[in-house]
Amino acid sequence: MNVGTAHSEVNPNTRVMNSRGMWLSYILSIGLLHLILLSIPFASVPVVWTLTNLIHNLCMYLLLHTVKGTPFQTPDQGKARLLTHWEQMDYGVQFTASRKFLTVTPIVLYLLTSFYTKYDRVHFVVNTVSLLTVLIPKLPQLHGVRIFGINKY
Amino acid sequence: MQNRNLNRLSVETSNRSRHFWRLNRNGRSRKSTHATSRQKHGAGNGVASRQNKQESFEQAPMYVAVCTYMGFGIVTLFGYFRDFLRAVGLEKCNLAQEREEQKDFVPLYQDFENFYTRNLYMRVRDNWNRPICSLPGPVFDLMERVSDDYNWTFRFTGRTIPNVINMGSYNYLGFAENNADFLKTVADKVQQYGAGVCSTRQEIGNLSIHEELEQLVANFLGVESAMTFGMGFATNSMNIPALVGKGCLILSDELNHTSLILGARLSGATIRVFKHNNMHSLEKMLKEAICCGQPRTHRAWRKILIMVEGIYSMEGSVVRLPEVIALKKKYKAHLYLDEAHSIGAVGATGRGVTELFNVNPADVDVMMGTFTKSFGASGGYIAGKKELVDYLRCHSHSAVYASAMSPPVTEQIIRAIKCIMGKDGTTEGKGRIRQLAENTRYFRARLKEMGFIIYGNDDSPVVPVLLYMPGKVVAFAREMLQRKIGVVVVGFPATPITEARARFCVSAAHTRAMLNQVLHHLNEVGDLLCLKFSRRKRPSSCSLSEETDVGLDS
Repeated sequence: MNVGTAHSEVNPNTRVMNSRGMWLSYILSIGLLHLILLSIPFASVPVVWTLTNLIHNLCMYLLLHTVKGTPFQTPDQGKARLLTHWEQMDYGVQFTASRKFLTVTPIVLYLLTSFYTKYDRVHFVVNTVSLLTVLIPKLPQLHGVRIFGINKY
Repeated sequence: MQNRNLNRLSVETSNRSRHFWRLNRNGRSRKSTHATSRQKHGAGNGVASRQNKQESFEQAPMYVAVCTYMGFGIVTLFGYFRDFLRAVGLEKCNLAQEREEQKDFVPLYQDFENFYTRNLYMRVRDNWNRPICSLPGPVFDLMERVSDDYNWTFRFTGRTIPNVINMGSYNYLGFAENNADFLKTVADKVQQYGAGVCSTRQEIGNLSIHEELEQLVANFLGVESAMTFGMGFATNSMNIPALVGKGCLILSDELNHTSLILGARLSGATIRVFKHNNMHSLEKMLKEAICCGQPRTHRAWRKILIMVEGIYSMEGSVVRLPEVIALKKKYKAHLYLDEAHSIGAVGATGRGVTELFNVNPADVDVMMGTFTKSFGASGGYIAGKKELVDYLRCHSHSAVYASAMSPPVTEQIIRAIKCIMGKDGTTEGKGRIRQLAENTRYFRARLKEMGFIIYGNDDSPVVPVLLYMPGKVVAFAREMLQRKIGVVVVGFPATPITEARARFCVSAAHTRAMLNQVLHHLNEVGDLLCLKFSRRKRPSSCSLSEETDVGLDS
């Protein structure tokens, strides 16, 4: 099994978020998650929205900022082994379209959640903390930074 | 810093907007491709304008891309689940693991690096590395192998699957054959020279048969001189470092083969990649290279080498040779043309893309090709001016360190070239080339009619059929094998994530009956697996209908 046989892209992970239909699939999957949560009979609408926000931010944090490296061997002797997917995107170039999209989506979701929870205090605190965990790692100043050595190797 | 970000912003938004408006790779909307190509090149004069109309890279509907991602997402989730089961001990772990006493050491490799291999590839790997037990002609025999533990190990049942139609071998002119008459000269040469050379070209391995072959190759291509090497991949990776070095610039196409990329990396030159077959991208890079020079010192580049291929084997697209040559002359760069798949397979007499476009071979600085595909042998050549080839004879790594081409292989190439040129006194060569062209056109036309999305130029015998979803890729390969047709399929990460494909290689040795059988089964499998994604109107044999086909592409 060879990586990069048909193209000269050294690390295909960098281009995954730019591929055709990825943004649409992402939005659709958020919608699907929301629908599944709405089907729970005893959950009220604010709780469902907060849960959507929390689960979305948790999955985003795990997939983009925790998992490191590539699921296949790349021909560059593992340069990206210690980089999370967010850091690998577009080979580390900041402010590309995909990065901006992935930064804006949690914010939009947060605004919708705030609206539907009617700005209740507990929900607000929980949602804001969750949003911060997903926004702070995306700052360009935190590119490659591992606080307290968490997730370093 | 600000400006650079803004530039990237504009590039990225233009990429996104290009996707949004469903423009094709060259930045032109599919609707207006025909119109703009006419405006650019004038009404149907040269081959170049004809070629623009013949290449297509149709995009599938959006739901196909979404389903592809869903497929990969589900496989990833199941992969994590199975990893968890293996860690907990509920599932047997078939992988190699570190020894018990070394579990506390720094791990030898990262578990995640093998994620794709153990969770996706292992489940489907019966579609690759299938052992063949006959020669790779138009039909071949496969050894039957089964797996008892879901593809972790295989065992042979002892039976063979006979007469499987071979749509995967690079046998374009059908020279992979076992005919005793044709191979008589090869047997004689084994008697005369032996089977191996036991030396490198520069030491005692320069046989008279090598000189004869090089003379013949130079005549065939219409250049001054040529040099041959024992291995096709090594021809690229060993000779590019001899031609360029530090301080040189290599402009290489996006979809260049691994051998070209490896040679470029080994040389130490700066590599810049331009978009596939996109002359605007290439021209912009040439201008920037000449204006700005080397990265920090801004000195002029010692050499600028443009590396392109004749036919790109994964896309089936043909390089825009006249335009590249015009650019090369304007900006005084050099051109390296890798004709691995196109030599012998395109052109009226099989001379490759230079003949296809009616271009003077002297315009291409370095012509490289391999004998593996159309000549049924192995090895490669580099041809060009006498000074270039003489330089390579002294400085090529392959000439100094690699063993020379073995005599029976050399004789096979000699007899194949003589056959193609007609020097053996028969019209066999011309017949084969014509048969290949007919087969290619017929196969491509029928596939388009059926509604499959295929990439590439209408003249190229490499036909990639797009399958997109990982499950369909595997189902396609297995289903075709059950119907006794052997195909090659490729998926992510060897291709971009949304463009998994099956690659068909048409051969002159395929009879019309064989092609019809393949097409019949393709039709059935296409209906069974819902692979007919094309949204164009089914073209009739009249080419006029293609020009009026503007409705469906938006």
